[in-house]
Amino acid sequence: MFALLKNSRELLGMNERNLTYVRPLNKRRGREFADNKLIAKRLLRKNGLPVPALITRIRTHAELENFNWETLPESFALKPNRGFGGEGILIVYGRKRNRTDAWVKASGSIVTTEDLKAHIRNILDGSFSLTNTPDIAFFEERLKLLKLFKPYAYRGIPDIRVIVFNRVPVMAMLRLPTRDSDGKANLQQGAIGTGIDLATGTTTSAVVGKSHIIEYVPKTRLALSGIRIPYWNEILRIAVESQAVSGLGFLGADIAIDRDRGPVLLELNARPGLSIQIANLSGLKSRLNRVKGLKVKTTERGILLGKNLFGGEIEEEIEELSGKRVIGSIEKVKLIGKDGKEIIVDAKIDTGADSTSIDTELARELGFGDAIRLFEDRIAGKDVLNELSKSERETLFSGIPDLTDTIPVKSSHGTSYRPMFRIDLSIDQVIIPAKVSAIDRTGLEYPVIIGRKNLRKFLVDVSK
Amino acid sequence: MEYSPITQFIVDQNVPAQTMALLLLLPVVATLASFFRQVVGIKAFGIYTPSIITFALLAFNPNGLKYGIAVFTSVIFIGMVTRYILRRFRLLYLPRVAITLSVISFAMLGILILGGSFNRTGLAGVSIFPLLIMITITEKFVAVQIEKGTRAALILAIETLGISLVGYFLISWPSFISFILAYPWTVLFTIPLNVLLGKWTGLRLTEYLRFARVLSQK
Repeated sequence: MFALLKNSRELLGMNERNLTYVRPLNKRRGREFADNKLIAKRLLRKNGLPVPALITRIRTHAELENFNWETLPESFALKPNRGFGGEGILIVYGRKRNRTDAWVKASGSIVTTEDLKAHIRNILDGSFSLTNTPDIAFFEERLKLLKLFKPYAYRGIPDIRVIVFNRVPVMAMLRLPTRDSDGKANLQQGAIGTGIDLATGTTTSAVVGKSHIIEYVPKTRLALSGIRIPYWNEILRIAVESQAVSGLGFLGADIAIDRDRGPVLLELNARPGLSIQIANLSGLKSRLNRVKGLKVKTTERGILLGKNLFGGEIEEEIEELSGKRVIGSIEKVKLIGKDGKEIIVDAKIDTGADSTSIDTELARELGFGDAIRLFEDRIAGKDVLNELSKSERETLFSGIPDLTDTIPVKSSHGTSYRPMFRIDLSIDQVIIPAKVSAIDRTGLEYPVIIGRKNLRKFLVDVSK
Repeated sequence: MEYSPITQFIVDQNVPAQTMALLLLLPVVATLASFFRQVVGIKAFGIYTPSIITFALLAFNPNGLKYGIAVFTSVIFIGMVTRYILRRFRLLYLPRVAITLSVISFAMLGILILGGSFNRTGLAGVSIFPLLIMITITEKFVAVQIEKGTRAALILAIETLGISLVGYFLISWPSFISFILAYPWTVLFTIPLNVLLGKWTGLRLTEYLRFARVLSQK
């Protein structure tokens, strides 16, 4: 009960957001700026911030009638100038083959010139604008999905929301489009939001929709925590500088990462949503109060303040002192097998185990299927350890491709012999060559345990 | 009924007591809506819609509740179905709403005829204005439906009905009306009350639910 009261004083509610932050800090000019995408785009670019390139705009019905559809590129995003909440955005991925008047959407469905015209008419008439007033439609370049995000995002581009106040980044979240959100990175429409540690740009906890906490990407084994967002410093810099350009005192900057261009500023929000607090399991109000009244002279200083105040900086310090990286007891590990086959799984970091073992099924997926089959055939029920001598074992297992070693394993069924293979492990972005045994781990919580032999470069923080 | 001198004075100027009571109750209902928004966190369709629906329900009396709720739900339901059917035609906003309104009007007429043929004239006896008010809330509903989807619009419609029902029970409560007529100046208290609500920065009750997971953090 006491914790609840204390926590409720740290949370920012809708009433306070409007009364204390949005109303006094975001004046009309700034709100206009945030709501008018074309003006924002022009001014942000003038100030050296990366924005999606404008292809062309359509301001009137007459312009629409005279528009030359041939001039459009292969792929583009069509947006209303004053749209909000991601409504009215249409994205095409390429031209339909052998047709000049049709494009293909992410879902595979076809969009014809007529469909585009109808959509633009709706935009011009203001169907998607804030107050239903007439609007402008524009085409801009389509951003390309970063490889890192591919397994996490459903038909769309994830983006990073950073709340900036007084030139200090105070909270951030990664928004991942899902099937429910129809490829849109909008929490209200069912996207996933994951909290981000401001110091390192690593994801922490996650929420789907408005308030449901989750740990994995729905229907997969992919953990949502521990994703290290690339270009983190650059993302914070763009967010903080966009605040200075916009004149908004309190804003949410939406930044996407393009495969070729890196971080790109998508949109500014004068009334950022509050669910970011659930994604981070942390209140905004206490953070805003700590930043209030500070005189922050430069962007760099603001970023440093945000990182030190609201990030887990201790961990970084230990890493710097010992030269070893700090990892948790459960880590996302990339297994790199035969012919560069890669699988990312959650692994248990087990300092009680000597060597690393992986599930037989994973070993098969990594390209050792034939070797495992041969190995099983040759054992065929024999009690290899007790019946055979060392040299007999060596002849028994000779000639199996990829087999680098064998290992006796004790279990409740007695002892057995398991094959070992050579693979590369990528733990916390460090590549470690390892000899791993393939063991049946079905029914166990983690398909991989990492043993001492492969943990020399790390310190394990059990609270992580 | 005991009138205060103020009420007596107003009635003496040929203002019907009923009209006066309604005018004095409007601030109360509006304050109720703002309380629900700021403290409880129930949004509804703004402040106009729940207020006007409250008075529409009152105008349906003597069987206000029964018919009022029935008309409200059928308007929303028909509005939803019509939007679903119209979606494939890709019409512009106003013509689409106009068609929706037409369909609802026809349906209402149909319901009145049906009621008449079963000798249930309670609804037909109602004055046309509450009926029209109910029909025009469709625009609000369709607008929200386009912006935020059917689910959000339905939730807001239910919230609107909820606030209107609370308002209805309050202003159809005889002791409350007598109280207002006996002490009409008490209605002035809604102004400082709204000033307080307008400065209220605490969490809304629904936000305690929404942020439950963050609140239970150690």
